[in-house]
Amino acid sequence: MLKATITADIFRDTVDALSALVTECRLHFSETEVWARAVDTANVAMIILSLKKEAFSQYEATTGEIGLDIAKLKNTYSMMGKASDIRLEHPDGANKIEVTFEGYHYSITLLDSNTIKKDPNAPGIQLPGQVTISGSELNNVIKSAAIVSDKIWFAIDPDNKEFVLYAEGDSDNIKRSFSAGEVIACNWQQAKSLFSIDYLKDMGKVMSHAEKVTIDLGADHPIKFSFEIAGGNGQVEYLLAPRIEAD
Amino acid sequence: MGVALKDILTEFKHPAGQDELTGVAAVDTFNALYQFLSIIRQPDGTPLMDDEGRVTSHLSGLFFRTANFLQQGIRPVFVFDGKPPEMKSSTIQDRRDIRDESKEKWDEAKRKGDLTGAFRYAMSSSVVDEHIISSARTLLQFMGLPVVNAPSEGEAQAAYMARKGDVDYVISQDYDTLLFGTPVLVRNLTISGKRRIHGRQVTIQPERITLSDVLQTLEISREDLVDIAILTGTDFNPGIKGIGAKTGLKKVKNGEFDGIIRDKSPGFDPEPVRLFFQKPPVTDSYNLETSPVDRDGVFSFLCDEYSFSPDRVNPVLDKIAKKEKQKTLESWF
Repeated sequence: MLKATITADIFRDTVDALSALVTECRLHFSETEVWARAVDTANVAMIILSLKKEAFSQYEATTGEIGLDIAKLKNTYSMMGKASDIRLEHPDGANKIEVTFEGYHYSITLLDSNTIKKDPNAPGIQLPGQVTISGSELNNVIKSAAIVSDKIWFAIDPDNKEFVLYAEGDSDNIKRSFSAGEVIACNWQQAKSLFSIDYLKDMGKVMSHAEKVTIDLGADHPIKFSFEIAGGNGQVEYLLAPRIEAD
Repeated sequence: MGVALKDILTEFKHPAGQDELTGVAAVDTFNALYQFLSIIRQPDGTPLMDDEGRVTSHLSGLFFRTANFLQQGIRPVFVFDGKPPEMKSSTIQDRRDIRDESKEKWDEAKRKGDLTGAFRYAMSSSVVDEHIISSARTLLQFMGLPVVNAPSEGEAQAAYMARKGDVDYVISQDYDTLLFGTPVLVRNLTISGKRRIHGRQVTIQPERITLSDVLQTLEISREDLVDIAILTGTDFNPGIKGIGAKTGLKKVKNGEFDGIIRDKSPGFDPEPVRLFFQKPPVTDSYNLETSPVDRDGVFSFLCDEYSFSPDRVNPVLDKIAKKEKQKTLESWF
């Protein structure tokens, strides 16, 4: 059972964070939080999202899970005012979730959670490099890189104390180096990996709203982006597998 | 070389955009090598050569043009000719005569300092010999690209693979490929860019011809198209004097083919030629898998053995030898 009220902004941020990677997922809820962990169909990227009960203005739940069709949830945006309070209700055993706001009442059919891709295991990967920058700066670099290439290097250069994003296309390239003074924090551990901009573009839009995004990075290893939503009462992690040069 | 169907095919030639070219393409390799040998020459017609005087124009064309293909998302499959049919022997002898004559005229033009003439005759003197074929095969092997050995004509094998759906289209300059039934023929891909033709610089663009468009619009069958080609002349018969593609089309549509052959070329039996275009010797024994580029192998072959400049070869190798693969997260959990 889930009965909760949340602001339209947090509702949108949460759904957008999920829709950057998946079109459907299992949403789990307990007495203290709502969470989801899902990978995209190609197993290249993962999202781990959680919202504490404090993210909601009213929250009451017993342990359960539902299968969400993300596109259907996004359909509710069109009539949603910026400051609307969104009421979510899912009685035990029901195959619908009720979404109510400003006189509108959406009754959205849920997906059979057995038909949704199994939740992935929690990642236990150790990545040596860590850097924190603003979400909007990160998104800007991704957008710029997308003009010249379909892939981008993320690198920490400990010798020059620089965090470098570099994209090379057939004829042009673009490089953005963040000096020590431009990053919010960095452990200056050597790391360098290449990633697909296709994935990063959608993630970048979501991350652009975050004041700071912490990036964990290795050498030819996945990258992890961590940032807060819901004023610190929610946490999102994106994990993206690298592209690796194969001679 | 090929068949003279240009006059009835011009309206079906459409510029081939990059998105239409992405996919697997069977290259009529002898045709491509001949094109490279013809056009990749110095101003006086002398082909590119290594320190030992061996011709390398074909290797230059094959390497740099194929690298372009790969970067454009074209996955080439190289089809090599096998044994030509007996009925081609006259055409082969004619080509040899033209080549010998061109060689003499080329030498003469060079002596006279006539660069335009020299280049033109040099082009006609191009010869795809055993050295050209074996060195091309070696390079393709180092580049990890699939090679198919046709039992007979390369364009017949390429068209067969396209009809089966194993490749998306055939790259050749010759319209014969349409007679052999390729659904799509792409011309000019191996020679696109700025080229000198009859002494003038022209820009050549890839063009695409779709067989079904040709047949539907002209309201003929592929068998009819073959008959038109027989009237105008193919690699396997000289054709009927005075009949071009447009006249041939009219005659074939009017059902006059048999009568013309009887009257104008008594003793010529068109059946073996028809049969060769309809059911040429082909093979299903081929493997279209690509292998990783053997970077050291390509470098050593081109730069050490054939004196190519490392400064030209290395940047291209950088682009084609490093293919990033998207990993999945499973590799880490």
